Amino acid sequence: MRNKLIAICLLLFPLASYAGHAEPDWPEPVEKYYTGQILFDRLELSRSDNEENTAVWDLMAWYGGDYHRLVVKSEGENTQDDGAATHLESAEILYSYLISPFWSLQGGIGTRGELSSANSMENYAVISLMGLAPYWFEMDNSLIINEEGDAQFVIEAEYEWLLSQTSYLQPRVELVGNISDSTKYERESGLSNIRVGLRYRHEITREFAPYVGIYWDRALGNTADRVEANGGDITENGLVIGARVWF
Amino acid sequence: MSSEYNVGRRKFVKSAVTLASALAIARVAPTWAIPQGRSFKDQVMKSDEIDLMIARTPLPVGQKLGKPITINGQMPGPLIRLTEGDRAKLNVTNRLAEDTSIHWHGIILPENMDGVPGVSFEGIKPGRTFKYRYDVQQNGTYWYHSHSGLQEQLGHLGPLIIEPKDGDIGADREHTIVLSDWTFEDPDEVFRKLKVAEGYYNYQKRTIFDTIEDIRKKGLKKTWKERAMWGEMRMSARDIADVTGSSYTYLMNGRDSAMNWSGLYKPGEKVRLRIINGSAMTFFDVRIPGLEMTVVAADGQPVKPVAVDEFRIGVAETYDVVVQPKDRRAYTIFAESFDRSGYVRGTLTHELGLAAPVPELRSAPERGMAAMGMSEEHMGMGNNGENGHAMAHKKTLPVENIEIKHSEEEHGAGAAMVATNPVSRLNEPGLGLENADHRVLVYADLIGAQEWPDTREPGRQIELHLTGNMERYMWSFDGDMFTEVDGPVQFHQGERLRLVLVNDTMMDHPIHLHGMWMELENGQYPRPRKHTISLKPSEKVSLLISADAPGSWAFHCHLLYHMHAGMFRVVNVA
Repeated sequence: MRNKLIAICLLLFPLASYAGHAEPDWPEPVEKYYTGQILFDRLELSRSDNEENTAVWDLMAWYGGDYHRLVVKSEGENTQDDGAATHLESAEILYSYLISPFWSLQGGIGTRGELSSANSMENYAVISLMGLAPYWFEMDNSLIINEEGDAQFVIEAEYEWLLSQTSYLQPRVELVGNISDSTKYERESGLSNIRVGLRYRHEITREFAPYVGIYWDRALGNTADRVEANGGDITENGLVIGARVWF
Repeated sequence: MSSEYNVGRRKFVKSAVTLASALAIARVAPTWAIPQGRSFKDQVMKSDEIDLMIARTPLPVGQKLGKPITINGQMPGPLIRLTEGDRAKLNVTNRLAEDTSIHWHGIILPENMDGVPGVSFEGIKPGRTFKYRYDVQQNGTYWYHSHSGLQEQLGHLGPLIIEPKDGDIGADREHTIVLSDWTFEDPDEVFRKLKVAEGYYNYQKRTIFDTIEDIRKKGLKKTWKERAMWGEMRMSARDIADVTGSSYTYLMNGRDSAMNWSGLYKPGEKVRLRIINGSAMTFFDVRIPGLEMTVVAADGQPVKPVAVDEFRIGVAETYDVVVQPKDRRAYTIFAESFDRSGYVRGTLTHELGLAAPVPELRSAPERGMAAMGMSEEHMGMGNNGENGHAMAHKKTLPVENIEIKHSEEEHGAGAAMVATNPVSRLNEPGLGLENADHRVLVYADLIGAQEWPDTREPGRQIELHLTGNMERYMWSFDGDMFTEVDGPVQFHQGERLRLVLVNDTMMDHPIHLHGMWMELENGQYPRPRKHTISLKPSEKVSLLISADAPGSWAFHCHLLYHMHAGMFRVVNVA
């Protein structure tokens, strides 16, 4: 896997041009550097006010240099004892390019759906603007267009307050909106969902930080109307326990 | 007089030998760092050729077992003592599993002897010996270190002292003090952590309680304005050192504070301390409470004596100070990391086994608006740290008349900021020392002890900006890392030029030019000569260079991980 990634990266990146004076067989005094990281921003168990227990993951992995990177993102959840399959919220592979000191423009493809039956998977193309906004907001904004041409946007923002050098209070907002209706996937145009969370995280090490938190989730607009019409709850809240882990 | 002197020396030797601890230390510390130091009357130990063996050797480092790179079995390596006018013959054998090199820091020599793989030679392959040969044309305090990868972080460094022809060191005794930073982590792993996790080693960040405290002290409006400024730029006012005491053990002559390196003096003697900052990443603030220090040389080159109580030494710089302790007591040599995350102490004493009180670490400093290249008056803010001294200039320096040209677009994604209004900061002692209640050395104090041979006015000006992007740990000149630039910086052979450096980052950077001296235009004459010049955030400096050394030379930030990340250029003189 690692070798494959390296091979892909070598194809993506042009060879270094030489900036000094040297014999051809001399090494470069400073070499290009490639590395990668796997980050589980959220790896948690949640318990909702409907007494449902759900396991949730939110991960990002990347490999590359300073400007060009190959990025994999995935989010999903599995509710225990509901008889339903694991819900894959997203699995994306993207090429990422650093366009300004704090922002990367990313483009790629993704898939999502219930992991039980392959024919229900929704494949899509995605463009993201990911980075650090002024005032330290960590953001990932995506535009998604599926095979039917339905468009959707997802805005994710996180902030960190340092309570000490190793503990943090982290608010998080995720806003989803549909630019067009989708009959196949039963989506209504307009803002569809907002999810707000607050986590208290304590670092055992920089790489391993357990947390506890709360969340509140609400369907919006036409989406909320549809949920209500079907006799469902438009709001949900709950507790989470988990860890932020990277290596 | 001379017989009394010898008796004194014998006593020292005896007391050293009888101390069991001294013997224990002798096993781990470099043998040159003996408590007696070296007196002016000692015979100079000279061998025609010096053999240096580079290997990886398990050794206690501080309180734990480490596996440093050793030179002749020692870390730091042996003290190499040459004499001005000699021909240096240094044979370096590589017993590592990877290529290595030695660069002779601050030494004027032919380009193929400078020891930078890929610039001056191909490096030294495992099992091979490279014979360095050059004529020694200078004297003073210098050092040597690996220029291969991150080997320097593993202790691949040592002191290089060049005696003047007449042997007069201007003191009765001398001690060489090498400061360094050691980590038990793999340096490649340290670099990766800096790359993937910004602020990994910083345990002095601002918390919400600092903000609450600020509101209480300065009021909500001012605090809001300040936080907004930093937040808008996405910069941290507490980002002082990239690698801190959370990973580093700070060493003095290879020993930690507990091992307490000690140097002896006889009351009334003039003692010359040759202080070398051989750290990978750490600026130190050095003082000896109770003793005045007279700075007599900077970067190996003599300066007119300046009496100070403390000085900041940037990475790769050297200072020679003379002290004259008159009492029979111990003095602490205190070297504090400039972010205050740690320190190392040693002792200057008339008798072994003594120690003096160790000062407390001062509190972590915080950068003010001056770091962004904005005066606080301009921001409508009061005095908040780094600005105080800037207005004290009386003379106008050449650099103050140079208009700095840049636009944000010019430096691209590799530069997270540009200094909107860079200023000369040569008469500021540096972050955290502004309010010291004693004399702290500033660059503006340094006056060359003699006129340098080339007195021409510069015929040309080259401007380079120090740039970086902390989020991805990209460090560069003019926004381009070494791997992005197409060619060298061109100096014309024989020309006299002015190099203008502008620091467009929030960090201090020690910038080192190989092969040629840089005369610092600090308003003094003769100008002080430097091989390494430290720039404060948003500072601009100008340096005069005589391009008299044909060939290719490295020019880089001497923070090891900044250089490794790309803050490196080749200067070609032709």
